[in-house]
Amino acid sequence: MVSDTIQFIYNNRILKIKNPNPNQTILDFIRSDLKKTGTKEGCAEGGCGACTIVIGELKNQKLIYKSINSCISFLPIINGKHLILIENLNSDNKLHPIQEAMVKYHGSQCGFCTPGFVMSLFAMYKNFSKFNDEIIDETLSGNLCRCTGYRPIIDAAKSLNYKNNIDHFKKNEKQIIKLLKRIKDIDIEISYKDKKYFAPKTLSSLKKILKKNSNTKFLSGGTDLSLEVTKQRGDIKNMISLNSIKELQFIKKTKNFIEIGSGVSLYEFQNIIKSYYPDFYNILKRYGSVQIRNVGTLAGNIATASPIGDSLPLLLSLDSLLRIKTSKLIKTIPLNEFFLSYRKTKLKKGELLYSVQIPINRQSYFKAYKISKRFDDDISSVCASFNFSIKKNIILKANVAYGGMSEIPRRASTIEKALTNSTFSEDTFLKAQKLISKDFSPIDDMRASKNYREDVAKNLIMKFFYEVSSKENLGVS
Amino acid sequence: MKNEFLFNKNLAHDSGIKHVSGLAEYTDDISEPLDTLYGAIGWSKKAHAKIKKINLDKVKKSEGVVSVVTYSDIPGRNDVGPVFDGDPIFPKTKVEYFGQPLFAVAAKSVEQARKAVLKAKIYYHELKPIITINEALKKNNLLFKPRIIQKGNPTQKISKSKNKIKGNFTTGSQEHFYLEGQVALVIPREDDSFLVYSSTQHPSETQQILAKMLKKKSNSIDVLVRRIGGGFGGKETNFITSAICCLLSFKTKKPIKLRLDRDDDIIITGKRHDFFSDYEVGFDDHGRINGLKIKLASRCGMSPDLSLAINERALLHLDNAYFLKDIEVTNYLCKTNTASSTAFRGFGGNQGMMAIENILDNISRYLKKDPADVRKINFYGKKNRNVTHYGMKIKDNVINELFEDLKDKSNYKKRVNKIKQFNKINRFKKKGIAITPVKFGISFTTIHLNQAGALVHIYTDGSIHMNHGGIEMGQGTHTKIAQLVSNSLGVPYEKIKISATNTSKVPNTSASAASSTTDLNGAATLNAVSRIKSNLSNFIKKKYKIYSKIEPIYKSGNIYFGNRVFNFDQIIKEAYLNRISLSSSGFYSTPKINFNKKIFKGRPFYYFCYGAAVTEVTIDTLTGENVLERVDILQDAGNAINPALEHGQIEGGFVQGQGWLTMEEVIWGNDGKIKTFSPSTYKIPAVTDIPKIFNVEIYKKGLNVEKVVNKAKTTGEPPLMLAMSVFFAIKDAISSISNYKKIPDLDAPATAEKILLSIKKIKNII
Repeated sequence: MVSDTIQFIYNNRILKIKNPNPNQTILDFIRSDLKKTGTKEGCAEGGCGACTIVIGELKNQKLIYKSINSCISFLPIINGKHLILIENLNSDNKLHPIQEAMVKYHGSQCGFCTPGFVMSLFAMYKNFSKFNDEIIDETLSGNLCRCTGYRPIIDAAKSLNYKNNIDHFKKNEKQIIKLLKRIKDIDIEISYKDKKYFAPKTLSSLKKILKKNSNTKFLSGGTDLSLEVTKQRGDIKNMISLNSIKELQFIKKTKNFIEIGSGVSLYEFQNIIKSYYPDFYNILKRYGSVQIRNVGTLAGNIATASPIGDSLPLLLSLDSLLRIKTSKLIKTIPLNEFFLSYRKTKLKKGELLYSVQIPINRQSYFKAYKISKRFDDDISSVCASFNFSIKKNIILKANVAYGGMSEIPRRASTIEKALTNSTFSEDTFLKAQKLISKDFSPIDDMRASKNYREDVAKNLIMKFFYEVSSKENLGVS
Repeated sequence: MKNEFLFNKNLAHDSGIKHVSGLAEYTDDISEPLDTLYGAIGWSKKAHAKIKKINLDKVKKSEGVVSVVTYSDIPGRNDVGPVFDGDPIFPKTKVEYFGQPLFAVAAKSVEQARKAVLKAKIYYHELKPIITINEALKKNNLLFKPRIIQKGNPTQKISKSKNKIKGNFTTGSQEHFYLEGQVALVIPREDDSFLVYSSTQHPSETQQILAKMLKKKSNSIDVLVRRIGGGFGGKETNFITSAICCLLSFKTKKPIKLRLDRDDDIIITGKRHDFFSDYEVGFDDHGRINGLKIKLASRCGMSPDLSLAINERALLHLDNAYFLKDIEVTNYLCKTNTASSTAFRGFGGNQGMMAIENILDNISRYLKKDPADVRKINFYGKKNRNVTHYGMKIKDNVINELFEDLKDKSNYKKRVNKIKQFNKINRFKKKGIAITPVKFGISFTTIHLNQAGALVHIYTDGSIHMNHGGIEMGQGTHTKIAQLVSNSLGVPYEKIKISATNTSKVPNTSASAASSTTDLNGAATLNAVSRIKSNLSNFIKKKYKIYSKIEPIYKSGNIYFGNRVFNFDQIIKEAYLNRISLSSSGFYSTPKINFNKKIFKGRPFYYFCYGAAVTEVTIDTLTGENVLERVDILQDAGNAINPALEHGQIEGGFVQGQGWLTMEEVIWGNDGKIKTFSPSTYKIPAVTDIPKIFNVEIYKKGLNVEKVVNKAKTTGEPPLMLAMSVFFAIKDAISSISNYKKIPDLDAPATAEKILLSIKKIKNII
């Protein structure tokens, strides 16, 4: 069964839109069609959070709430979900506890960013029961405010710890779940003028769609793809959303590796990887924002092949494997061989990234560093990742990978060679770091100069050594 | 003694509830008339070029396009320059920056308009662009002749000094990054007039500039602004959006909305001036400055805009809180092929202050003294050493006691020693600390701008309608002025209706700028209130036969004449029935100020704001990353009308200043293309960048010695400069690598990259 109509819950009702424009953003829909103007456009690229809305969805019979950037989300992705806007937060003319706290602690000045902050806090309020500094910082890292200096907003967030967390959404939960269940879980196929949008539920439907439609783009989180519309003012004719394919939504843990299905969000992934590689988690927490990680996927980060994709050097140093679905089979290749040149990969037309396998080795020394102008929500100028086996002070394995140092994220093979089978000593590392220019010739751009990139890349090798040998965190953050 | 009449309540922002509910209406949220068309601007892809040909055929044919405008559609003045010409709406023959508007379209949807402008074919004859201050200085590409100001005999004083240092220093540009971008909605009305909604800090000048553009009288343009989503100076003279919007409306006779998207906003509009200084200073063994010669050059962009006033304020703040008797300043206003640099919180003052602070920091490092002591020994005195380099006697100086107070409160001395210990033990992490003062002059230095108007009505039910010339941009000016009105009339705050700033209610207003909005407009509003009160008093006296000269007291909804009590609402009704006017305009002009720009002498400021901040940072010497461990602030807000709102200004200003001096970096290519035009490439501070410990206090002894409303002091711009302490704390941390023996070479912004470079230099690696 296929439907040409998207359905979602808004204001306790099911709204249906037949063949919507798949290139329309949710933000544009909210402001132009729903005529609700509380949600703002600040940047149209998911970089300021003014457009933050919350999407409610059913997972294992439970309602979960995700903050997302409505400015870079295409309208059809709300199919089967609960759309929550700033205007929906108060009920019976009473402010929601978050809104109350924001007023009480003077959390707004010009007020333009405020709805976005309130919505990010709303998602936090629904998903956590206690709000410590770490949770608050993470929640707000994708929302920019130019007036307040954030302190009053943080105070407002902290004050929520002392509030009863029963709001009208809690009271209404059963009704919402009932409505959500009423929306049939079937394939979506939209035609709007010359544009098509597909959201298959299974790999087999996907296969059929691919057979009939050759020129299509895969939509996963869409945080990159959407910019073709919102920034380049282009059109995306044919899109296939991978978000509804259940077979891609899996996490497999074995003794030797974890496997992440390509439909798993970065936010979900960060909480999985935390117990295996804490540094991976720390870098992921600085990957975009919660709004971005709620929709963005690890597979998307790999397939877009950005030279600075922040998970890539980490995955490279960990000897990760990719599983690629062709029309016939699933093949496995090392990530190290996947990137060909700037934004080019081995992925052929019609092929799909199925999953990522990350080897687990609890004996290894794994560290990762991200250097950027701003700590939160910034693209790195250099990202470095180290994965070493050291026995009896001899380096048996030295995996060193960098992002931001060349047109693709890459391993530092000369340096690796120099380190392997050497003694784990300052001298070894001092010698090895000098080889950076043999492995990389980075560029100058607005994020960093070539010189700085080289200097930092060298220093990070030393930092890895000093941190492992001293067992101390030598960074400032 | 604080008057009991004074009103110091931490009321929430008047729009707080609307902000958090998404109900506060900004220009883009106003419901549009049905036939509204949408605009987009087509702009130059070259920084400096002759325009050979503009072919708009494909633009005109693009889906949904209704109309296209170019310079030939402008009936009147083709310029939006506020003081001088130089900012054409659309240039005829020559483009002078990458992003300069060349034409605009109106289409049936925003998307159609934005897609259409990309289809233009523009043929350029490229000229060599001048982008940096250095290039402009070399080629003598200046907007005005260099200006030299000399007081005393600095050459002689420097040559006679025991110690001398020379050096240069740069502070960077800064993008305003107001969250609400430039936007206007223009609705044509009968009699060829226009209703203009615009996100501007300056409705009156919008009105004048649009009228001149259309060759109409000012009275044919009404400008309305309920609130703007941040301004910070970026909406003081950026009239290009409203002008183009109005031109499209004039041509199509339709309502037009023009909202710049973020990229266009950053590419098209001007930013903060970068400043370069080159100095020579002579000083004694205590670090006291004997003489200073300094060149100050700024990147002004392609036109004068407000650059003259901004540079003037830089010169007027070159002293910050220090007595500089013998000084020579040469000021260069560099013309560059970049968007015209414009007003930004601090307005040049902060750049001048950074120049002198850097000199003092270097003096103390040269003498191996605590920078706090060297700063202190240079402070203005109360009885002597109290005349500025522009001849103004300072009568409200509190910097000495405020600075000491903060040093004590923040445990400065102890922490300096602790930090030195920390740096001895730690090889890679280094800490630094700095305390810096702020003295900032309040008033527009263009004297005639120091005026304001207001309009107050009391309706027959006793409710009050308040209007004045100030713009609500987040600072809470409406809230504070409503508090003043409530206090003056003795009625509840809730009775006062705040309304949109409107050129047809209050004419000829000044920009909401120079930190003066509440001072000026609050006084004008109180003037209107006092006129109505005078009508009421006369009426009551006459009707109720009160002959004593006793002054009435307005309190708790009543009017008291000694022991006679009249209910406010009742009296309003009675007054109406007795044909007494219950409405008045109000006016205020700042007294005492004068400034002769030619000889650079006078009293340009009504009063000064004072403050100080202590910042402690940790830097990672392997990467240049840094973190603010702790910040302590003490700011004089006088007798604040609403301390909570002042706190907001202080903290927000500090973080904005922190961004300016650390991570915010506007980058142009050699070809003049701006490379940082979206939040993915231009980074303003985010939530975890703020100090881990952030102690902010309003100076309790603060009281304005002048007759400013409530004896308050503004907190608009001054707190931005508190962030200077961040920069010098970083410098302190770098200096520790040389065991405090060397002066770090560090320019602002101190990005991780610049910090690492400075570390390399201090280690003699390069």
